[in-house]
Amino acid sequence: MTAEHNASSHPSPAVIARYADREVELDEVTVWSVEVHLEDCATCRARLAGSTTPDGGALLARVAAGLDRDLGAGPAPVRRRRWSRVRNRWLAGHLVPWLTMTLAVLAVAVLLQAAQPGLPSLVALLAPVAPLPGVAIAWSRRHDPAWELIAGTPAAGLAMLLRRTAAVLAVVVPALALASNRTGVSLALALLPCLAFTAATIALGAFVGVRHAAIGLGAAWGLAVVVPAVATAHLPVVLQPGSSGGWVALTLALAVVAASRADRFRRLSSHD
Amino acid sequence: MMRTVSAAETAPTTYPWAVHAEGLKVRAGRHLAVDGLDLTLGTGVHGLLGPNGAGKTTLMRALATVVRPAGGRLTLLGESVDGRADLRRVRRGLGYLPQQFGFYPRFTVREFVEYLAWLKELPKPAIPGAVQRAIDRVGLTAKADARMKTLSGGMLRRAGIAQAIVNDPAVLLLDEPTVGLDPEQRLDFRELLRDLGVDSCVLVSTHLVEDVVAACTDVVLINEGRLVHQGTPDDLVAQGGAGDAGDSPAERGYSALLRRHRAEAGR
Amino acid sequence: MIVKRSLDAAAEDELVRRIAAADRPAFDELYRRTSPWLLARLRRRCADDDLVADVMQETYLAVWRAAGSFAGSAAAGGAVGWLWTIAAHRLVDAFRRRARQSQVPAVPLVETVAPAAEDEVMAGRVGQELEHALLVLPPEARQVLRAMVLDGFSVRETSLLLGVPENTVKSRARRARIALREALS
Repeated sequence: MTAEHNASSHPSPAVIARYADREVELDEVTVWSVEVHLEDCATCRARLAGSTTPDGGALLARVAAGLDRDLGAGPAPVRRRRWSRVRNRWLAGHLVPWLTMTLAVLAVAVLLQAAQPGLPSLVALLAPVAPLPGVAIAWSRRHDPAWELIAGTPAAGLAMLLRRTAAVLAVVVPALALASNRTGVSLALALLPCLAFTAATIALGAFVGVRHAAIGLGAAWGLAVVVPAVATAHLPVVLQPGSSGGWVALTLALAVVAASRADRFRRLSSHD
Repeated sequence: MMRTVSAAETAPTTYPWAVHAEGLKVRAGRHLAVDGLDLTLGTGVHGLLGPNGAGKTTLMRALATVVRPAGGRLTLLGESVDGRADLRRVRRGLGYLPQQFGFYPRFTVREFVEYLAWLKELPKPAIPGAVQRAIDRVGLTAKADARMKTLSGGMLRRAGIAQAIVNDPAVLLLDEPTVGLDPEQRLDFRELLRDLGVDSCVLVSTHLVEDVVAACTDVVLINEGRLVHQGTPDDLVAQGGAGDAGDSPAERGYSALLRRHRAEAGR
Repeated sequence: MIVKRSLDAAAEDELVRRIAAADRPAFDELYRRTSPWLLARLRRRCADDDLVADVMQETYLAVWRAAGSFAGSAAAGGAVGWLWTIAAHRLVDAFRRRARQSQVPAVPLVETVAPAAEDEVMAGRVGQELEHALLVLPPEARQVLRAMVLDGFSVRETSLLLGVPENTVKSRARRARIALREALS
């Protein structure tokens, strides 16, 4: 329902004067019209101010005096920074130590690579599991202080987990890009497994909980791939340059799985 | 400026109780903390009493949809929340203050309540006004822009209450909200509770029997995960006699009911 | 004075932005411009002048404190609409407090619906369908319609404001919708 508001035609001053006086009974239709008009028209509001009854004026003066008193007594308004709202919604403070640790590990890997050129590319081996600590902690009962409050809100669910994961990736991906640049590993080889494992953690997390999924995937990758690679000084097949297509396909498939099980994320407490 | 009123908003209310639990079973870890609880709650302030380990916190968690029930039926605002229900709609009408609620220390009170308001999917233009209103109602106006890590225990709890009421919930769950409040603050809080009970269903879990008698329209006593008694505060007082333990009539009624329940359970 | 001229020219939205920067003259200007309007509107919904004064004081205090958050967000209806939303919620809170102790100070129902002959020219503003619906509805349903559509109250808030049960509010609102739909067809 909308009102047809004609800005060029105002109510007559007599009607406004009658509206200003609560003793005068105005018919329903006029009251509606006047009120809808007054919300948008400063001129008529000024006209209304001129028609205030004496007892109305006394009331306004009384309120003004009270405001004078209270405004001085209380705190002054605080100007809000626009970015603080964005920061509050996307970042989670408890992630900081874990992300720092991830970055430190990557830095160590780069240094080790430089010191021991004989080793297979450590950055490529670590890239898939680099985001996992962050994703596991992103929304975890033990690490997020406000977890229980958030768990009961309508927004709790896959969208929120993805938002926090994006914050993790926003830190990990540039770091990986930098590290892969330094050690001569191709960007695709560093980033695609990383994204695939992130998708896998979330998809698996729908069934066993994100933390368990991250631990499981990390351990499995470590035992099955990293240890043999370091021992034999060869990069495994899955990390050879031609495997990019496979990683992309895997990422997409896992994303579909995660999306189809989105409703399981509404109550993550069952797992975590 | 006029708003449109949807058909859903004016559809008649089909459910009789805001909270309806039948044979509810909820686990806390491995232990079945709520074991076959039947409960109906309507508009008003309901005080939840019970000894430690009675299952109060677990019940609150289940009602807040944080924990999935292990058995039985639970209906909130007419929607069933066990199984694969759509929780978003129900959660918009809920407010919850857990017993140990955590917060982000660097947030100010206003930022904290705004963040929760955003999570509760309040329409964005309405958030600043709703936040200010909630902060004013709990009496934290002077500290609205102070960082949460600088607040005392009582003020923190009030900030928690503010986030619980920011979306004007139809069902409000408060787990031990008066912890850390001094007696004057507790009086203010009772006033707020009475206000809230006029048009919403409030469940307050507390250890303090006097809080319950003063502010609640209804008392729910649970023990070992089951309902022992539900009735008015006067009912509670009537249950006790001179021989029962307690310093006030309500406390005597409370101990009498517990004693009888334990005797019936053969303990 | 240059400052006064710039204040005169500023729209209410700009005033709120300045209030967010703790500009006291801007706040006084906002009060001067909007308080008569708010007073008239509140008085047609509440019979108790003391309550109206309390609501107005709380509203403007809230404007002073929350101006910072408002200035950043885009609100439908602008600063004036926002002002009304705050006042409306404070009014509901005040009525809720009263509801526990005694009768709410509601305003008597408006009897006449159709405008007098000399005011005919005004009627077109509301829209023919709405006017027709208002004509056929009983006063209680009109009251509910005004509370929900014009003032933006929810069902729960309307029931508090008018002192009637929620289901009664809902059935009257349904009646109003039917009348409107009939008018549109």
